[in-house]
Amino acid sequence: MESSPLRNLVPTDAATLGFVRAAVCGFILCEILRISFSDLGQLPVTLLRPTGAMKLLPWRVYDLLLTPAGMFGLKCVMVVSLGAATIGWFTSWATKFSAVLFVFFEGILRSFGHFNHDEMPAVYILVVLAFAPCGDNFSLDNLRNQKRLHWSALVYGYPILLMRILLAWSYFSSALIKLRVAGLTYLSPDNLPALAIEHSLDNLHDTQYKLAFSIPQASKYSPLFVGLVLAWELLFPLAIFFRRARYIILIIGIGFHVATMFLMNIIFPYHVAMYVVFVDWGKVLAKLRLLLDRSLISGNGVPQDAPR
Amino acid sequence: MELDPESKSDNYSNAQERRVLTRYAVLTIALLIPLVLSFVFIRNLYPFAASTMMLRDRDPGSNYYILRGETVGGETIDLPPISLTNALSGRHWGLVSAAVENKPFQISSLHPENAQLTAAHSSANDLPRAARLEDLLRAWGRIYNSRLPESSPQRLRLVKLDAYRWDGEIGADYGRFVESWKAAL
Repeated sequence: MESSPLRNLVPTDAATLGFVRAAVCGFILCEILRISFSDLGQLPVTLLRPTGAMKLLPWRVYDLLLTPAGMFGLKCVMVVSLGAATIGWFTSWATKFSAVLFVFFEGILRSFGHFNHDEMPAVYILVVLAFAPCGDNFSLDNLRNQKRLHWSALVYGYPILLMRILLAWSYFSSALIKLRVAGLTYLSPDNLPALAIEHSLDNLHDTQYKLAFSIPQASKYSPLFVGLVLAWELLFPLAIFFRRARYIILIIGIGFHVATMFLMNIIFPYHVAMYVVFVDWGKVLAKLRLLLDRSLISGNGVPQDAPR
Repeated sequence: MELDPESKSDNYSNAQERRVLTRYAVLTIALLIPLVLSFVFIRNLYPFAASTMMLRDRDPGSNYYILRGETVGGETIDLPPISLTNALSGRHWGLVSAAVENKPFQISSLHPENAQLTAAHSSANDLPRAARLEDLLRAWGRIYNSRLPESSPQRLRLVKLDAYRWDGEIGADYGRFVESWKAAL
């Protein structure tokens, strides 16, 4: 089952899928290592408001888990699981287990308050990886067992396409919801300054930048800026289909998220990290290998154009 | 008719591939349909999110909060909660306003301790404001103090949450004090 249109759209090699697995799981692993689960376990469980699927769990589970020891135990299990998924060791099991644990952990965080969408594309991407043969390359499993089934382009390419669609959906639907909820008033000169100031008043945000208070001086440009951001979000799906548009859209994305940190104290590190799904890692790795080979040859004193 | 090993291997490979592709089809439906429904109804139903970021989720004129601590040495310090519970990145303001508004008492299945407290007050509406806020402030104070030696003058003796109001008008008074809650440690 070969698929030429898919080949034109996304990389269809095992190396890209394997590298995306390593990068996504590695990023989540670093985040899990960085945050203190024990401190979270000191918060009163009586403040929890289980959300969505988290309502299915009985309170007894939360009572047992939301203690410093309980949360530290959860962190250890997540580190082992995500570590195995990152290096590609028992990849099929490790990615599935990591996806379940990450969905559960993010559910706990959301049950404490604000929904916050930053991590959601990472949740979905981890779920996609859990059901894809992402350990066939760039993994310990591949080193241990060189024999594997010969898959078609669709098997390695489709998960990449699905991950790109899921990330693009986050931006595209966000723009549509803004227009549905606020309509054209979203473009009013006061909207952006008010939104930015609202997020800069307290000390409950992750950063405490005060640049928002200088936005009103330039509020006449605010509708233009907001309009451009909306257009960028609406056009984000083009990154799935066109390579040139992809680079422009992703660079604007990085700039946009850096700007929201300084202007609104809102940070979306997971969204930015998930841009890795838009890179053709198979080609990047092949180029790196070529460069490495060349430098090794020149390091051995063999001229690069010498007959071999 | 006996198949040669290569044909057997090809058959096995094709069957496996069909299984993987069926799995992809199920996965796509399982992810995309709930996401589209979340979008249509603009409703977050974990793990499916309607992307409502960058929308004003508070009414103009609602309160905002500053968390502070008072040290044993008598100094008042700012206590950004991200330095205490960094796992709740991007969620502290939601946690605090939910605690102030008694939102944990407004869910369908109450925690047994919250159910007991509600029963003691005949209904959730009769509860004192911010009924669980003191527990939260005390927990943050304990986390802060646990990082300092017992003899440090920087240890906190109380944690307080100050509420301020901004009416949403640009250039107006951004910080009109409203009320304060304190928790001694």
